[in-house]
Amino acid sequence: MTIRRAKGGLESEVLAALWAADGPLTPGDVVQAVDDDLAYTTVQTILVRLHAKGAVIREQVGRAFAYTPVLDDAGLTADRMQALLDRGADHVAVLQQFVRTLSREDETALAELLARQQGQGRS
Amino acid sequence: MSLYLPLLLSAVFGVTAPLLAHRLPPQIATWMLSIGGLFAAAGSSVTLGLLAFDALAQDPRLAARFGWSEGVLRAHHPVDVEAGAVAAAAVALFAVRFLIVGARRAGSVRQAHRLAAALSAGGGELSVIPSADRRAFAVPGRPGRIAVTTGMLRSLDGSQRRALLAHERSHLLHHHHLHHTAVHLAASVNPLLRALPSASALATERWADEDAASVARRDTVAEALTRAATGGHPAVGGVVLAAAAADVADRVDALRAPPPRLALWRIGVSAMLLLAIAAAVAVAMHDTERLFELAQDAYRAGHR
Repeated sequence: MTIRRAKGGLESEVLAALWAADGPLTPGDVVQAVDDDLAYTTVQTILVRLHAKGAVIREQVGRAFAYTPVLDDAGLTADRMQALLDRGADHVAVLQQFVRTLSREDETALAELLARQQGQGRS
Repeated sequence: MSLYLPLLLSAVFGVTAPLLAHRLPPQIATWMLSIGGLFAAAGSSVTLGLLAFDALAQDPRLAARFGWSEGVLRAHHPVDVEAGAVAAAAVALFAVRFLIVGARRAGSVRQAHRLAAALSAGGGELSVIPSADRRAFAVPGRPGRIAVTTGMLRSLDGSQRRALLAHERSHLLHHHHLHHTAVHLAASVNPLLRALPSASALATERWADEDAASVARRDTVAEALTRAATGGHPAVGGVVLAAAAADVADRVDALRAPPPRLALWRIGVSAMLLLAIAAAVAVAMHDTERLFELAQDAYRAGHR
């Protein structure tokens, strides 16, 4: 659980949920979207903190606020970084990708490999 | 003959370590590859250095200059001058490769740190990139940062996003890029170790996957992986890597299996291998030292 409780970990999850959503989210929506046993007040605290930092904007919806993420300079910097990644595998060799996006042929190969593994009865 | 032992053992390590790594818990596999790789690289470098040095030392002018008997060296020594010359050339070549790889990695780390610093101006651990691509990566720095595209976030559900963030956080927390640097440096001075970097890359990915599996169900992590790897746009710039699909399949496979357990005998085998390499280097150095003592004694006694 040390990974989980890393500083700002929950904040990242809330922000990620806001970005994944189609529209503004209320604290209640965020609790659902984060999909974990989070207390409403915890989420609310995080949202207020994000708002104070300028990472999200909010609007009154009924009795609650609904939050929308704001694109900041960091996101644009990260975008430039992605351009670096695209330029060549070795350009910034220490960036670690979750997974390399596979080509169509690789996708087919992956599907075959996974089917074969499942066929071997490993579970 | 003891002189060749570190070289031989590094070859054994280069072949067996990636296979062992596959079957070890990823944390242990990663460390085994890094430490073992550096040991094996140091061992083979010392061997090459000694081979070159011994051959050079048989040159009459050098022998006279430093006061050792070339006759004794030649008599006791299995190395002929040609092998020594080859070793000397290899030492020079590998030294250059080491410097190039080292400089390139250092530059890369510096660049990443600068980018991480630029990202942290925004405040949080996570930076979101407005893009339909599915990408997520960790940027090492002080502190490190995580960057994810909106396309990736939208393709995952809540627990999968949690798994993704935990995965990237694991890379930063455990400084996986330093492990990669270690094995790349090792491979730069010993071609027999060239399989280590890809083995280390897979081991660190599995390590991060296991950390992700501590905050989400194992099949959730596997699902997030598969979704992230597929269904996105075609790979940019025509980068097609046959290994990419195999690596994803390996990781999904590992996640479908129960959490890896410590198999003591496998750790034992790895430890023995490391010890053997270290011992072989020590013996080779000791033997060389003894030989030169003999040669010096003979020189003083007047036997040239």
